[in-house]
Amino acid sequence: MKLRRPNLHALAGPYALDALDGAERDRFERHLRGCRTCENEVRGFAATATALALAAAAQPPAGLRERVLAATTVTRQLPPVIARRRGVPAVSRSPWVPRLALAVGAAGVAAAAVLAAVQVSTQDRLNSALAHSQEIAVVLAAPDARIASAPTTVGGTAIVVVSRTERKMVVTSSGLPELPSSKVYELWLMGPGGTRPAGLLPPPSSGKTAPVLASGVLAGDTVGMTVEPAGGTSSPTTTPILVLPLPA
Amino acid sequence: MGPFRSASGPAERSDPDLDNLLTLVARGDQGAFESVYDRLAGPVYGLIRKVLRDPAQSEEVAQEVLLEVWRTASRFDPGKGSAVTWVLTIAHRRAIDRVRSETAAAEREQRSATAPVAVDETAESVEASLEAERVRRCLDGLTELQRESITLAYYGGYSYPQVAALLDTALGTIKTRIRDGLIRLRDCLGVSW
Repeated sequence: MKLRRPNLHALAGPYALDALDGAERDRFERHLRGCRTCENEVRGFAATATALALAAAAQPPAGLRERVLAATTVTRQLPPVIARRRGVPAVSRSPWVPRLALAVGAAGVAAAAVLAAVQVSTQDRLNSALAHSQEIAVVLAAPDARIASAPTTVGGTAIVVVSRTERKMVVTSSGLPELPSSKVYELWLMGPGGTRPAGLLPPPSSGKTAPVLASGVLAGDTVGMTVEPAGGTSSPTTTPILVLPLPA
Repeated sequence: MGPFRSASGPAERSDPDLDNLLTLVARGDQGAFESVYDRLAGPVYGLIRKVLRDPAQSEEVAQEVLLEVWRTASRFDPGKGSAVTWVLTIAHRRAIDRVRSETAAAEREQRSATAPVAVDETAESVEASLEAERVRRCLDGLTELQRESITLAYYGGYSYPQVAALLDTALGTIKTRIRDGLIRLRDCLGVSW
């Protein structure tokens, strides 16, 4: 036990360089919350890493500026987090609203995935991709859009953005295990309206899947995900790997 | 288009002006975002490129990151560090996420996982700036093991166990060399935080 603390403390270096993986990073982050010295050290190391980053600056490609600026005009910004008292853990019953730290990354992923989907399209697919992504953008930008991300039981994370007024949701994922071509991840809406298929996740690119749009979301619905034969099925045939109740 | 150095010079490690700009961005100020872009797109892209190498992928991730800066500007807390650090931390994490997810995918595909290839120090088109020169000098002041551990982890995007494997050195040694090296680097650069 005596060695544990100094050992953990030394992780401040690798942590500040994003060189810790999964479990170890989580463990260090838990330690960090109660260790002022570590927090201070990590902050100094992060500023040091910034110097390394600035030293690597390079001219960005032409066209990036225009694309990013154009994207901002169709991307709704996150509201500020209202200050909570320090030391009060952010525990919530629902993953939906107050877990904003998660939402930050997830929302970015969703928005970026939309753009990526547009970017990779060949010219003849561009129009339909654009129409599709505009529908998605409507959900992402809806004033009542809520976002949640939840791990699946097989690993990886599903990210769901839902708008009640639009009665639609957008689902993306990252880090789900790759499936053989004979299988597919299928989404479900389960609730008062019965269990309805809500789309198939496309094959991942770089571990992430392009957004899937589903409409007809009803109050009281839960999002589910199962592994099904390629092409999908009309009702789930395996145990859900994700069950996420939508916010009321 | 898009000179990423403004008239006031390259982005400093702490830049109160940039902190203020980010506050304006959080309120939806497009003009302020353009200024932030012009100051930080170069470092964001350059850093991601350094880690990922592939230009097309780097551009894609840089775009994600810069849009995330717009989207999440309200979450920037000046009390926790500078705007530059906030943005570049996001950039580095995104690049690493990409590296790790690709590594995982590649390992699943090839049944025989081979060790990642060491990063060779080919000169990238790095912006010749005072900062780069200062950083290079301070890196030169580290022991070889400290320098290699830090650059493989940060620029190479390797986890520290991977760094340990590449350098054929014990895990605990790498962990402490990274920390000791960062302390020396921090003091040499006169970083304030």
